[in-house]
Amino acid sequence: MIRDAEVRLWIYQHFVDIGRAPAPIEIAARFRLTPTEVELILRRLQSEADALVLIPGSPYIWMAEPFSAVPTSFLVRSGDREWWGNCIWDALAILALLRIDGSVSTACPQSGQALHLTVTKQSLVHAPWVVHFAVPARDWWRDIGFT
Amino acid sequence: MLLFRSEDDVRAWCEQRRTTPGAIFDLARLWHLARTWYDDRLDLNWRRRTIPERQAILDAVGLDGPFWRLTIP
Repeated sequence: MIRDAEVRLWIYQHFVDIGRAPAPIEIAARFRLTPTEVELILRRLQSEADALVLIPGSPYIWMAEPFSAVPTSFLVRSGDREWWGNCIWDALAILALLRIDGSVSTACPQSGQALHLTVTKQSLVHAPWVVHFAVPARDWWRDIGFT
Repeated sequence: MLLFRSEDDVRAWCEQRRTTPGAIFDLARLWHLARTWYDDRLDLNWRRRTIPERQAILDAVGLDGPFWRLTIP
């Protein structure tokens, strides 16, 4: 019996190793499941465990926080590896979670200025820029895509 | 959660959207938050933290006040 927790962890490891989410068919092949079984697991991971977010109306993974399965404005790099963060918080969290040095590239939404952050020896190199949280904490999960 | 060049840019961005700024703070605090919030995600038996557990993390980072309450008092 494949536990949802095993599938969840494998999805995360897939993000870590390859930089993208696995497709349901890849999960099915890894665990010798049918696509329907995989979809049921993914839906449980979304609705019961609150472990990931699917693209609405599909069985495809959109987010497994802090990772994004789709390109965003927050590109994370370490050596020749790349990931997408869902927001500036998540982008930094990817480097923290993997305990690696690297960088986050984004741009100021107002001025358009490129903003490049560097993490060295697991410390954030000082930068004078500011973080803006538009949504109060109690509403973060009401619309996670907007948040 | 977005990164801006300056607080002036945040205010201009909000004015254009006819909204008021939410919370503005520095990157050092965000880095602290990033290091703690997701640190269990690669554990096999991960579970979503409870609201009190999440609130404790925000408090520990110094993010307090009504904006950072996860529940309405």
